[in-house]
Amino acid sequence: MADQLSTALADLDEVAVLNLVQAQLDAGVDPLAILTSCREGMVLVGKRFETGEYFISDLVMAGAIFKQATALLGSRLKLDGSGTNGVVVIGTVKGDIHDIGKDLVVGLLRAANYDVRDLGVDVPPQKFVDVVKETGATVVGLSGLLTISFEAMKQTIAALRAAELPAPVKVMIGGGSVTDLVRAHVGADAFGRDAPQAVVLCNQWIKD
Amino acid sequence: MSNQTLYQERLTRIKHAINLEPVDRIPVVYMGSAFSPRYMGMSIAKYCADPDAAMDVTLAAMQRLGDLDGCNLIPAGRITVILTGQWLSRIAVPGRDLPADSLWQVQEAEMMTVEDYDTIINQGWRAFEASFMPRVIDMAEVRANDKWLMANLAGVYQRFRDNGFVPISGGGTTMPFEFLCGARSMPRFYQDLYRIPNKVKAAMDVMMPDMIQMGLGGARLSGAPGTWVGGWRSASALLAPKLWDKFVFPYLHQIVTALSDNQVLSVLHFDQNWDRDLARLRELPAKKCILNLDSLTDVRKAKEILGDRMAIMGDVPSSLFAMGAPDDIANYVRDLARDVGPTGLILCPGCDAPINTKPENMETFVAAAHTYGVVA
Repeated sequence: MADQLSTALADLDEVAVLNLVQAQLDAGVDPLAILTSCREGMVLVGKRFETGEYFISDLVMAGAIFKQATALLGSRLKLDGSGTNGVVVIGTVKGDIHDIGKDLVVGLLRAANYDVRDLGVDVPPQKFVDVVKETGATVVGLSGLLTISFEAMKQTIAALRAAELPAPVKVMIGGGSVTDLVRAHVGADAFGRDAPQAVVLCNQWIKD
Repeated sequence: MSNQTLYQERLTRIKHAINLEPVDRIPVVYMGSAFSPRYMGMSIAKYCADPDAAMDVTLAAMQRLGDLDGCNLIPAGRITVILTGQWLSRIAVPGRDLPADSLWQVQEAEMMTVEDYDTIINQGWRAFEASFMPRVIDMAEVRANDKWLMANLAGVYQRFRDNGFVPISGGGTTMPFEFLCGARSMPRFYQDLYRIPNKVKAAMDVMMPDMIQMGLGGARLSGAPGTWVGGWRSASALLAPKLWDKFVFPYLHQIVTALSDNQVLSVLHFDQNWDRDLARLRELPAKKCILNLDSLTDVRKAKEILGDRMAIMGDVPSSLFAMGAPDDIANYVRDLARDVGPTGLILCPGCDAPINTKPENMETFVAAAHTYGVVA
């Protein structure tokens, strides 16, 4: 059943996924095992994106299906949204109110079992610092669609570097016009060309 | 040389580029909506609130920059009202919702419901649009802008011509995809494409005649050779091929063909990456389009695939304008002219030079276009 579920999710078969999750819950399958199958499906989605079989629209749909599936499991698992792979703090930087790319990254990281603290949009540098201190996160993701976000990214990274944090922090940036030139300018450790790249980076930095 | 003579010389140069004919120099075209006021010391709030000021400051910026052949998009009307109409979303306006000298921003949210597709299908696009717009804008703003456009639109374009600059496009339209995507919000709309494809397609089919008329109207009222046909969320990199084939290309083809049949050039203002489907664009009428890229599409691949079908306009990256050094800009223009020119190329900022473009970078862009654009 687990293989069937992960395959249905990877195939973006929304109705099949939700029916399978409900059927497995009704049959007494451990909700954690069901969640694991769903996450395996998301891994397959990521692989299909890497190979060029899937595109952003497929990621959006997969994320929507995963979210519904975990909502069905929520009451049984007492999910609090946290993952066990580590904590990632993420937000759209000060002065920029765009959230679509950031939200996609948040969904993919949660599906990959990361505990994501989503700070929203127009986030001042100090807020990132405060939440990193509070959570002990070792990865921060900064998002920005507009070129005006570059200076805010730079200021945020400077604030993180200047702060006394519980552990060293890696910073990844992403957004429509982010390039390696921007990464170097703002002092980030890496940039993502697309949302799944954030998962790859976190896997390198935290999980592996 | 008189402005009239300059205008004719520049128009001829641009027409040669569009027709893929030899040019004496690669045309260089301006686009810097928010850069213009910043460059000339005007607040962004004033630029947004006062369409006369927006026109004046754009013209002044172009005159200060020097020998530009034309302008990709002429500011005609209040930009935030125009953007609301294009995105069907609320726009955060400088001086009202944002600090006076900050950039306007689209506040994308799910403003259109799934049930609204039925309204479009049953009552038509215009009826839906009329009922929808108050959800995203104060209609008094729309009426004020319409009044200004009725009184001034033709004169705006003429002013640019009188100053020797060629308006490349007037007004604009896009595929139904983009309007619906903006109104529903990108995540919701993308999910609609999987969940209720037939309903979405039925709505798109109903919308098409109005989309075509919008493009024809913009060109007619402005007297410009072309009209904008925008594409951003419909880009190849964002959509599964089966979705692109069903919801994007048939509509793009219809619009471009209809405009072409009416002697209107389509300025394909394509943001994001369209690499995968460049070959499909060969199906569009030859020499009736300009492919206007923002640097995310591989411009050299575009040249290779489409070089005998349409001119390419662009594609100096916005991040380079904002973060790069003048040498970076000059080198980019040099390489672009060498690899994509000299025929069938119009040099232009990719998408729109950003608000934080360094003035020296824009000045270098214009100078480099003259240095490297001259055909020996």
